[in-house]
Order: sequence, then structure tokens, then C-alpha cells
Amino acid sequence: MLIAADISVAFGGFQALRSVSVQAAPGSIVGLVGPNGSGKSTLLDVIAGLRQPDGGKVQLDGATVPLGRPDVVAGFGIGRAFQVPRLARRLTVFQNVMVGARGQSGEKLSDLFLRPGRVARREREVEAAARDILRRLDLSHKANDYASDLSGGQQKLLSMGILLMAHPRVLLLDEPAAGVNPVLIERQIRFLRELRDEGRIIVLVEHNMEMVANVCDHIFVLDAGEVIAAGTPMQIRADARVMRSYLGQPA
Amino acid sequence: MTDFIIFSVTTIAIWSVLGISLHLQFGLTGLVNFGQVLPFAVGAYGAGFAAVHGLPIWAGALIGCGLAPLIGVLVILPAGRLTQDYWALVTLGAGEIFRLAMLNISGIAGGVEGASVVRLGDRTLAMVLALVLLTGTALFAFRMDRSPLGRLLRVLREDETLAATLGRNPLRFQLVVTAVSWVMAGLAGVLYAHVTGYVSPSSFMVIETFVIWTAVVLGGPNTIAGVVLGTAVVQLTGVSTRFIAQWSHLPSELVANLRLAAFGAVLVLVFLFRPQGVIPEPKRRYNADSR
Repeated sequence: MLIAADISVAFGGFQALRSVSVQAAPGSIVGLVGPNGSGKSTLLDVIAGLRQPDGGKVQLDGATVPLGRPDVVAGFGIGRAFQVPRLARRLTVFQNVMVGARGQSGEKLSDLFLRPGRVARREREVEAAARDILRRLDLSHKANDYASDLSGGQQKLLSMGILLMAHPRVLLLDEPAAGVNPVLIERQIRFLRELRDEGRIIVLVEHNMEMVANVCDHIFVLDAGEVIAAGTPMQIRADARVMRSYLGQPA
Repeated sequence: MTDFIIFSVTTIAIWSVLGISLHLQFGLTGLVNFGQVLPFAVGAYGAGFAAVHGLPIWAGALIGCGLAPLIGVLVILPAGRLTQDYWALVTLGAGEIFRLAMLNISGIAGGVEGASVVRLGDRTLAMVLALVLLTGTALFAFRMDRSPLGRLLRVLREDETLAATLGRNPLRFQLVVTAVSWVMAGLAGVLYAHVTGYVSPSSFMVIETFVIWTAVVLGGPNTIAGVVLGTAVVQLTGVSTRFIAQWSHLPSELVANLRLAAFGAVLVLVFLFRPQGVIPEPKRRYNADSR
């Protein structure tokens, strides 16, 4: 169970999040929706350790996840994909995926020079895992292209692939469908369901309401830094306040 | 003529080590070190300190290349959280602070006068030592370059936040790279001191940093071959300006300054029109289909 409790963040005088609490169970997809500036991405940043909140705590399966330490948070099996994908653009797709793997012996200077055999063995494992992931994402034919040469949709798939190399328990996905063509969105939806059925926790920030209603098991609606509604997609659709906050007028 | 060749090869080899050190920092990791002359100076001053205080040569070498990475870590720790442009400023300042300190503290190695150290009388031996150092440095850097570590350092270069969200502590890796590359530059400094036979603050001006940068940027900051090629071009140009001054009967100071202006122009033009340098980073291909 992933729990973010009483998270507050202020940017100067602007209160981006006011004591927001959300939770997500293993094997479920939780949607965060709300208008621009409602604090969705900020909340993902807090959970991922990229932003130090003014208050609140994050827990995963009962263990406290440290705040403001992205590298340590990643060690808890929490992976964050960004709205504008973060990639090593001058590395190939294959290299990008390989970097996602944890525990690479060849990243240690001592192993590099004193244990070349171990380094080579681990590197072969990482290569094989990267091949599998690319096949799963249907990106094998792009393996040796530079990441910067991919389309926007492919870049989003790639950043998900990088995360999957670390076998994450939790995936924090920021608008995976924005700017992606409908065929690719279909593939993403199938993929998200697979990942959920493997027992992972998926937190999804998304504006595409069709996708949200389609894949999410539970939805939190944020507006001006507060949770204004929570429930199943059906319940949310029936909630008049949500319609107001999205459309800016009485529903 | 042989003397000239030996001198040129020695010079190119020593400065290539400085270039490879910068390749690891900038080309691989994206650290903009505008104080590359600092570890070089620390190495040389290790030798100078030993000579002035009656210590053996090996002690000077140990002091020089031991102190260089320590100072590097001290510089990077406060600067580590800063963005690239601040990094450039901090390292630039650190290099000058060290030079000015050596200028004014005469107790370390002679202050403004500099200090004499044991000069390698056998110039061929000096060249061989320089080539051995270059080979060792190049092999070490090459192993790093082609490894999972090199891959991760490139990710740091492209996007530190990405590396952090993938569970790597960027500062830790930047420290490792700084320590390793500053040892290399420190060793080059020790050797340089014994090749020239003296150390003096005027050898370690800011401008030397930019001579190294010109070589690295021109040849290609992302490859070792590029760095060595760039260093050869820049150092041979530097050596030949003396001949040009003789031929043209222009004041040698003017020619030397024109040379620096030309380096500046090269730096700007390469950055604008061929940022990858003469030898670009090769693409590493993987077989994505085999089962």
C-alpha cells in the first residue's frame, strides 16, 4: 500500500498542496485528475523525492519513504515518469533502457578494474533484460536510434521501459497519453493493465478522461491543491463539484 | 630536429593527459571545469614543495597527486548542487586562488620566484615517461568510457534528475570522476615539473585552462582520440608560433597573443558549428533481436 498523508507544499506565497492525502493499493491503478495547476505533478514529485514538502509523510507497505531524496526513494521501488520524458537524448534507446537496471557492478570503479568477469556477466544480464523490455514495448526496431530521434509517444513508452528495468513496485506516471497518437494510447492502456495485474501500484496523472475512466480503479480529484473528490470512475462522473472544477461553471 | 620532435612529443603527451582528464569530466560527465589548470598546478607544486623542503622525488609525486583529488573534492562538495555555469565559476576561481596563494606564500615553493626541482636531464627518458603516463591514462579512461559507469556518467551529463530518479546519487559519481581525473592531471603536473626543472606561479595562469579546453573542444570532448588529436594540433601551433615570430620579425609577444586570439576564435567556431569536435562520439550499437 502506498500512502501519501497530509502533504503540504508552498511555492513562496502560493499553496500548491494543502494537506493532501491519497493512497493506492497493490494491483490497482489510481488516477489523479484536476485542472492545470491543481497540484497533481507536484504531488508526484513529493512522492518521488524530487520536492521536499513543508509537511506530510509518504509510506510504502508500512515503511516510511524519505522525503527529498530521489535516489533513495528509487531504492524503495518507486519510479517516476515525467510529462516531458526525461531521457539521455544523446544515447541510444537501448542504452537508455540499460541504465534503468539497478545494481550494476560495472558502475563501481573497483569492480571495473578488479572484477571484470563479474562486470561482464552482469552486463550480459542487463542486455538480455533490455531486449525483453524493448520487445514488450514494441520498440526493438528503434533500439539503436538516438532517444532524441523518437516521436513523443515513443519517448513516453521508452521512459516507462527505463523504469521497468528496475522492477518497480510503484509507477508514478505523469500524463503518459498526452500528445500520443490513438494507436499508441491503446497499446499503453493494455500495458498499464498488464502492469497492474502483476500486482504493481500505478499512480496516473492524466487529462485524457477517456483513458482515466477506462483504466483507473480509483480516482482522486484535485483542485487548487486540495482533494475535492475521491471514488471510482462512476462515482466521480456523478459528482457535480468535479464537473464544475473542470468546466469552470455549474454542471 | 630530433630534440624538437622529442620536445613536441613530450609536450603533447603531457597536455593530452590533461585533455583526457577534462574528457572524463566534461565530455563524459558534463562537469564544466574552468579550473583544469588547478590539479596540474597542485601536482607540480607537490614536486616543488618536495624540492624546497629536501624531500625525495617520490614524496613530491605522492604529495602532488594525492593532494590534487582532495582539493578537487573540496571544490566540488559545495559546488556539487550548483548548475553547470556556477560550476564553471567556482572552478575558475579555485584555480586562481591556488595560483595567487602560491605567488604570495613563499614558504611552500618559492613564492613569486618559483622553485627549482630536479630536471630530467635525459630528454628521451622524459618523453618515454610522458608517453607511459599518457598510455596509462588513456587505457584507464577508455575502460571507464566503455563501461556501465561510462554509460551512467553520460546520463548524468544529459540529465542529472533522470539519474537521481533511477536511484543514483549524482554527487557521488561526480566526486568519483573528479577524484580520478584530478589524479591524472596531478600526475601530469608532477611530470611537467621534472621535465621543465622548475615550478612558478606564472606557468599556471587561467589561460592554460583555456588552452586545454581549446584542444578538447576542437578534437572532440567525447572521445579520447579526439582529445589527443586536438592537443597535438593546439600544442604544435603553440610551439610553431616561435618560428613564425622568427620568420616574420614580428615581436614574439604579439605572435603569442595572436595565437591565443586564434584559439579563442577556434573555440567559438567549433562550439557554433561542430560542437561534437573533429572526432564525434561513436554510436554504440546493440543487437536487440537475438534471443
